[in-house]
Amino acid sequence: MKSTVPVERPWLEALRMFARNPSAIGGMVLLASVLAVALLGPWLMPADPFEIAAAPLTPPFSAEAWLGTDYLGRDVLTTLIHGGRATLLVGVVAALLSVVIGITLGAMAGYYGGRVDSALMRVTEFFQVLPALLFAMVVVTLFSPTLVTVTLAIGIVSWTGTARLTRAEFMKVRGLEFVRAERAIGARDARIIWKVILPNAFPPLVVSATLAVGAAILFEAGLSFLGLGDPNQMSWGLMIGSSRQYVLTSWWAVAFPGVAIFITVLAVSLIGDGLNDALNPKLRER
Amino acid sequence: MRAVQFTLSRLLQGLALVLAVVVLNFVLVHAAPGDPVETIAGASGGMSEELKAALRVQYGLDKPLAAQLGVYLGKVAGGDLGYSYFFNLPVAGLIAERVPATLLLVITAVLGAFVIGTVLGVLSSRKPNGLLSQFINTLSLVGFAAPVFWTGIMLVILFASVLPIFPVSGMRAIDSAGASGFTDALDVLHHLVLPALTLGLVYLAQYSRLSRASMLDVLGSDFIRTARAKGLSNRVVLYKHALRNAVLPVVTILGLQFGNVMAGAILVETVFNWPGLGRLAFESVLRRDYPTILGVLLFSSIVVVVMNLLTDYCYRLIDPRIKTS
Amino acid sequence: MLTVKTPRRNAVAALFLLAAALAAPLSSTAQDSIKRGGTLVVGYPQAPRHLNGAVQSGVATAFPSTQLFASPLRFDDKWNPQPYLAEKWTLSDDGKSLTLNLRKGATFHDGKPITSADVAFSIMAIKANHPFQTMMGPVEKVDTPDAQTAIIRMGKPHPAIVLAMSPALCPILPKHVYGDGQDLKSHPRNSADVVGSGPFKLVEFKPGQRVVLERFEKFFLAGRPYLDRIVFDITPDASSLMLGFERGTMQMLPFVTIPSDLRRLADNPQVTLTPKGYEGIGPLNWLAFNLEKKPLADVRVRKAIAHAVDKNFVTKALMAGFSKPVDGPIVPSSPFAVTDLVRYPVDLKKAAALLDEAGFKPDANGERLKLTIDYVPGSDDQQKTVAEYVRAQLKKIGIAVEVRTSADLPAWAKRMAAHDFDLSMDIVFNWGDPIIGVHRTYLSSNIKPIVWTNTQSYVNPKVDELLDTAGSVLDPVKRKAYYATFQKIVTDDLPIHFLNVVPFHTAASKKLGNVPMTIWGPLSPYDEVYFK
Repeated sequence: MKSTVPVERPWLEALRMFARNPSAIGGMVLLASVLAVALLGPWLMPADPFEIAAAPLTPPFSAEAWLGTDYLGRDVLTTLIHGGRATLLVGVVAALLSVVIGITLGAMAGYYGGRVDSALMRVTEFFQVLPALLFAMVVVTLFSPTLVTVTLAIGIVSWTGTARLTRAEFMKVRGLEFVRAERAIGARDARIIWKVILPNAFPPLVVSATLAVGAAILFEAGLSFLGLGDPNQMSWGLMIGSSRQYVLTSWWAVAFPGVAIFITVLAVSLIGDGLNDALNPKLRER
Repeated sequence: MRAVQFTLSRLLQGLALVLAVVVLNFVLVHAAPGDPVETIAGASGGMSEELKAALRVQYGLDKPLAAQLGVYLGKVAGGDLGYSYFFNLPVAGLIAERVPATLLLVITAVLGAFVIGTVLGVLSSRKPNGLLSQFINTLSLVGFAAPVFWTGIMLVILFASVLPIFPVSGMRAIDSAGASGFTDALDVLHHLVLPALTLGLVYLAQYSRLSRASMLDVLGSDFIRTARAKGLSNRVVLYKHALRNAVLPVVTILGLQFGNVMAGAILVETVFNWPGLGRLAFESVLRRDYPTILGVLLFSSIVVVVMNLLTDYCYRLIDPRIKTS
Repeated sequence: MLTVKTPRRNAVAALFLLAAALAAPLSSTAQDSIKRGGTLVVGYPQAPRHLNGAVQSGVATAFPSTQLFASPLRFDDKWNPQPYLAEKWTLSDDGKSLTLNLRKGATFHDGKPITSADVAFSIMAIKANHPFQTMMGPVEKVDTPDAQTAIIRMGKPHPAIVLAMSPALCPILPKHVYGDGQDLKSHPRNSADVVGSGPFKLVEFKPGQRVVLERFEKFFLAGRPYLDRIVFDITPDASSLMLGFERGTMQMLPFVTIPSDLRRLADNPQVTLTPKGYEGIGPLNWLAFNLEKKPLADVRVRKAIAHAVDKNFVTKALMAGFSKPVDGPIVPSSPFAVTDLVRYPVDLKKAAALLDEAGFKPDANGERLKLTIDYVPGSDDQQKTVAEYVRAQLKKIGIAVEVRTSADLPAWAKRMAAHDFDLSMDIVFNWGDPIIGVHRTYLSSNIKPIVWTNTQSYVNPKVDELLDTAGSVLDPVKRKAYYATFQKIVTDDLPIHFLNVVPFHTAASKKLGNVPMTIWGPLSPYDEVYFK
């Protein structure tokens, strides 16, 4: 039977499982490369991505521009390197925001139950029914697109999955022996939530948070592609969107940023998958 | 009796949700910076102050927000979604005209992905660590990780320049006005292939992973082990018992998916110039055509609520163990 | 290079046509050999709000409007008015009345006759509703002594009145449809059941998608139009437009400016590519200064900025040689353009010296000034490229420029209307007569919180006087003299630095005959267009 006693050092066990998973390791490597390029790249290649570097529409693998230039003559490689920053920043912060909101609301709903749960579930349902991209588009247009408004808009519409998960986990763990023991001895709610339940509910939440980063990156890319991202920040989505009109004569300006997004989201997903496998007790038994 | 009660309460909840969506967006649009009349003035190439004032009165923008909201809700209840700022045509008409195109695109993509995804997931669950399974898993990750609009554009490049066997823009050949039913249907299908493929790939990824995971889950459970112990053949076990239970999470996701359908529709329709609701929504945002935006938000929410209800029903049908919560 | 090919091809074609015209004894023979039939599909990225050009300006509406509605006059490629709905027209000696003698037997699409009452109604409607206020400004009333005669009475001599009778500017509406008291700007018959006076009638208007028109069999010019149908296909994406055209699903692409597209089209032997047809529109690409802002109020700063921009680089490198530099507020193809202007050849040293003189010395980092530059979104090859280039150039003379991108046109228009800008790129049309499209930018009385007015806040009483006079005098020679002085002053005062003529081109399938190339080009009726 499954153990209901919390494993003392679940992290070590999980880490070992993670390390043995080849695709998870692959994901880590990919992510590390992407981060390295995004963080160090602009330092090593400090050219201005908006500057006209060479003749417009130079094909890739040429001397002046390794990945070619776009319709304005901007170097694709430079824009790739610099564009990673905005995409990753928005992706991580927006995901963080959505996870924080989700965990907070989900924890309260799952722990307190009853009316609090009902009310919070209504709110969650509301945000689930709201068409996320369209709503984010409206918000961003109303308040003028900047990195801040885009991040906020994404964060506000993306938390429902995490909330549901947290709530489910909390409901599961709430009824367990050791929690009831804590309540019996009169421990404060906050302590129970933070110190007792949350650590045990962590595994699926960590997975969810990781996947949330991937989702937020795709969301930001979508907004930028539509022209609703921060137009003064180079981002991968923006590159694809602005070069779309010239795709017949400069496929590289669209292809490479897309590959960059793909690699990043893939890396994050592989890690998330690996974490899921490592932390999921059911598969552990097989 | 229970079922009727269930339906009614869920319907009421759904109605309340839709109402909440409408109110929130109405307030947001009218209270946020940016006067719709200024936008219209800009779009017309400039307008005198008197004209702008007249427009404000005409659109009821001079009344207090609560009054405007009341008027709007009253109209909506009667089916009147107002007039588009840009086209001066009834919003309900604009939406109704675009809905079939989006419906066609989305249903084709989702159903196709559902069927193929489930099959792939089941196949890959037979030997969970085998080569086929790993391959399918990776392939589905590709569908999931690549941005849908990028996949679309890549397909456009492929089928525009390299292999021009599919059209990459629009829903029909341009001068097709008045084509007969069958030819027209074929024409639409021809145009449908690429957008549906693009949209479907994303869902395919999710469904195959999900069905694989839930098949694995179910196959390892006591319930199945009992069935096996009884001596039923592998095939029967697999298809009859496991599949039924494994499909449940996929169906749930299917329902939840419709909340995100608008996003995919907006992006794919923009890439392929598909004349659907998503493209209307996007263009309306660019034009600050708030009545149309509100109308699309409303319509989309209604669809999601209805789909959720339907999904709940399917869930109950498939798994009779579920009681009303 | 490539730009040499096209004029030469055109010249050869013109020679052939001339020879053919001289050789053919009767024009009717040429006409008999023109085939009737076919559907012309025109691709364009912007959606028209509705189909009534009397109450809405802009290219998108003008396309369908010029096919649905006839106007009193039309123009050839030499700025000469030609009869259209009006067989004869007479401008009085004092210039205060224009008499139009309408054809007999012309009918609307519903069969009712087109009379002077409709002309009077339409002209007054345009005056009341059209955004171009100066077009019919001096018009006071239209007398209709009989059904075939309309006399436009004006408060002062209005030299632009004849040009204002063009198809894009003066559609004749049926009074019996639009005269029902409803506000014309939101009239339901603007989008549905349109009853017009032009060569084509409405089949279908799908908002945001397409406009489908078909031949009006009882059009007042017998035998025309030749085409069976016209479809205006709204495709927002430029590459889809190119694809559609190359695949043959579209046969005409007007207003093409993107250099890479132009190159592709120029190299395609199946395609006629012409820059002709946009002289009436007279599109200018320019850099505007906001004179309300401190540093820019000093003309030396403006001249310094002008000297930092190399127009030859802009037109040859950035626009691949498809556009030509322009140095003044009036397009070179206009009869009023002059060459005696103040010019600003690129000279970074001079620019730096001017800034020094104006008191803007470089600080420790070499920076003298900080400015922002906006641009109109949607025309990246004309606007954004140049804005980025200006930024790079101004950096060299110590001006730090931030390029502010607006999310969309309304956002940019809002900024301009609020005068919330330092520098801004813009594309502005002359619209034929300077009264219509040029005066609005320089008159001090037109400093308003509205986009495409005098958003630069330029005030020069001499210019006001010149423009008012040039706008009230009939003699074209006198007018040209006034406009000459005006152009000299304006290029010296430099509220705006003019860069290039927007290189609009029309691409048409070689199978298309009589591709519209009058001064109004694609914004004129396609009744003479045919498929070979």
